Amino acid sequence: MARKTIFIDFSKCIECRACEVACEREHNGMSFINVFEWQEMAAMALNCRHCEAAPCVEVCPTNALYRDEDGAVILAPQRCIGCLMCGIVCPFGIPELDLINKIMGKCDLCAHRRKEGKEPACAATCPTDALIFGDFDEIQRRRREKFTEKAIEVAKKAEKISLLGV
Amino acid sequence: MAEELIPVVCPYCGVGCRLYIRVVDGYPVGIEYATDIPGISNEKGKLCPKGNAVIEYLLAKDRLKKPLKAKEQGKFVEISWSEAIKEVAERLKTYAKDDPNQLMFFGSARTFNEPNYLIQKLARMLGTNNVDHCARLCHAPTVSGLKQVFGAGAMTNTYKDIEEADVIFIIGHNYAETHPVGFRYVLKAKERGAKVIVADPRFTRTAWFADIFLQHYPGTDIALINGLIHVIIKEKLYDAKFVRERCVGFDEVVKAVEKFTPEYVEKITGVPADLIVEAARTFATAGKGVITWAMGLTQHTHGHDNVRLLGTLSAICGYQGKEGCGCAPMRGQNNVQGACDMAALPNVFPGYQAVTNPEKRKFFEEFWGVELNGEVGLTVIEAAHAIDEGKVKAYYIMGENPVISDANANHVIKALQKLEFMVVQDIVPTPTMEFADIVLPAAAMLENEGSLTNTERRVQWSFPAVKPPGEARPDWWILSEVGKAVGFDRDGSKGFRYNEAADVLREINACTPQYRGITPERLKANLAGIHWPCPSPDHPGTRFLYKDRFLTPDGKAHLAAVDYRGPVELPDEEYPFILTTMRYVGMYHTLTMTGRSEALVKRWKEPLAEIHPDDAAKLGIRTVDWIKIETRRGVYPIRAKVTRAVKKGVIAVPWHWAANVLTNDALDPVAKIPETKACACRVAKISEEEAKKLMEKLPQIIPRIEVVKG
Repeated sequence: MARKTIFIDFSKCIECRACEVACEREHNGMSFINVFEWQEMAAMALNCRHCEAAPCVEVCPTNALYRDEDGAVILAPQRCIGCLMCGIVCPFGIPELDLINKIMGKCDLCAHRRKEGKEPACAATCPTDALIFGDFDEIQRRRREKFTEKAIEVAKKAEKISLLGV
Repeated sequence: MAEELIPVVCPYCGVGCRLYIRVVDGYPVGIEYATDIPGISNEKGKLCPKGNAVIEYLLAKDRLKKPLKAKEQGKFVEISWSEAIKEVAERLKTYAKDDPNQLMFFGSARTFNEPNYLIQKLARMLGTNNVDHCARLCHAPTVSGLKQVFGAGAMTNTYKDIEEADVIFIIGHNYAETHPVGFRYVLKAKERGAKVIVADPRFTRTAWFADIFLQHYPGTDIALINGLIHVIIKEKLYDAKFVRERCVGFDEVVKAVEKFTPEYVEKITGVPADLIVEAARTFATAGKGVITWAMGLTQHTHGHDNVRLLGTLSAICGYQGKEGCGCAPMRGQNNVQGACDMAALPNVFPGYQAVTNPEKRKFFEEFWGVELNGEVGLTVIEAAHAIDEGKVKAYYIMGENPVISDANANHVIKALQKLEFMVVQDIVPTPTMEFADIVLPAAAMLENEGSLTNTERRVQWSFPAVKPPGEARPDWWILSEVGKAVGFDRDGSKGFRYNEAADVLREINACTPQYRGITPERLKANLAGIHWPCPSPDHPGTRFLYKDRFLTPDGKAHLAAVDYRGPVELPDEEYPFILTTMRYVGMYHTLTMTGRSEALVKRWKEPLAEIHPDDAAKLGIRTVDWIKIETRRGVYPIRAKVTRAVKKGVIAVPWHWAANVLTNDALDPVAKIPETKACACRVAKISEEEAKKLMEKLPQIIPRIEVVKG
């Protein structure tokens, strides 16, 4: 089965931070997605990428990090010892330390919502579809389609112009 | 106990998003996205950050739970509902007997249609037209301006039309921050190939997505729009057939815009001439165009003219009465359109029927069974000045916070202190409440049911999801009790006897032509709502207005020929900067709701004043430094943010945190809106201690109400 994940289309992000607020509500006051602004001209949300070859899963000494049936990288809190190794190896700096429970915290692609057949909260709420939950290959295929549609449209217009020119 | 999903309408902005509240035994445990309701304004149930945090303010610890009576200013004792209602009714009766125009009523865009209908009914039955609400401070020019041009003061189209447009002209409207969910439709149109033109004094997040960005100085909108019209007429890009058949006054427009050449406009607005030409060509030749605007355009002494010019621009291009076209004023509150429709306005009866029209007055005299006043009443800002003159002595405020929201807040505070009697009906303590004599605890929007009209004229029913705290009661119940106690204790439309909110809506159906077919039964069955006008119970509602004719008496669009007027207060040697106000996506108006929401306060902690790097360097200001902004009306301490988002000479301040102590209360002559978007100011760097001292003098955003024992 194809793996579903959060696709980030930063060209549509309006930095409203609805994803952060939604994530925080679904995860007892901790938000595992963050929005970053770039030079007051663009913004992008970043959450766990649930990597195919996830360094955090490989390095975890207690096997607290594992992959669930949908392919999401999940933290089992009862096994976590808060050694921070996952945080150290993560190239995106995703895992955070939850000092109250003395364990790590990270995006679980809203496991509780997926169980009920719903999308993760951040993608469900994103007002401009800058975050899309779906199969990565499928999303890429749609983007290719859209691009070719646009290219064909431009070609059509160009044809008209040259015909008129004749 | 089973968990229930209750469909409600988001209590924040004018998009009017649907969502579900997850409720267990009357207690909110979460929200769910309305992905399963087709045709709603927030496609796929999308929500912005405020919508996501919607239950937090309901659970605020300082919610009002009992009626309060003031012993002295700011000190209250708890009283019972019957005592409170009796006292309010008796005081209202005394003033009404003497001279009803001593009373002033505030409706609210923050509550349902039904209470707004009731408060204006109460005011008018007592004999005064002194009833107004916060639309005066936001879209009053839209209502008056669009009415003059097209015949009705409402958005002419829907979000669907924005999605289908080929060009979208966004002016004075930070769409992406103020209506994030509505902005979805702009991006969808853009993805399809539509062009986006943004005109704003700040480089906003909306401007990130602009194909053409016009950065004009605050308050120079007339010149900019006239410049666009000039180019369109000169290059013959307008829709001659549409102008000939459906518009009047085109020749005057041609004359009026003659001098607004792109070069002349560049001098006034600071927008390069070639950009103006490009924007005009793009807009006029697209085929289907929508104009959207908000506070940046309306909150000026020439707001009324600004709106009329936008109507003119749209009409001469033929962008009216068809799909994918129109004028879209974006409303700030989820029921500001409804509060206007219900006539919480001093000059009209429900459905925009003028109080000065003897025929309409006669209808309502028969309908309500009392003699009515035919004089236009006072507006929000006029009322504050009437207090000074001793003409107004009592306020009844339902769900408003004039101390923070009105321009020139220091004057408002002085005026409120002079009042003899003030009732405040609200859900939490507000700075306004400090001056109240009686405080009535109201149920919040999600604890209450009723109909709401969003910015696209869509009327939706919101169901009661949560149990109100303590003895808080729905607004319609409070007003109906006050009405009965005042003496209007009769059945039907002649009194205030209602069993539920739906009863009030049925009465609204009977007297408001636009709402005739929008019955409570239909609304409850159809969660996506109905767009007014809907003249009969089997009418499907109207997506866009003016298909065949405009609603003006002659059925034509009345084009506006307007000469340039800038802000009334221009920068001079003493006050060298132009001050404009703005808002944040996660904060809402006077912060009574978002200020009590932890997830939002965490992200939008404090205001930052935007200042251009060159100005900042001259004054030695760096980002995060404390500065004080001074105008002729007040002083305001704030941290600075040095940014190229504003032009040289412009300062932009978020207004949520009481920045209205600075703004100018000069009024638009027609719409009576204060000019909160442009005034002269000066800036100086200060120390943190000084800032703290100045801060103490500002009205407290989240005040503590002192309750003492009897």
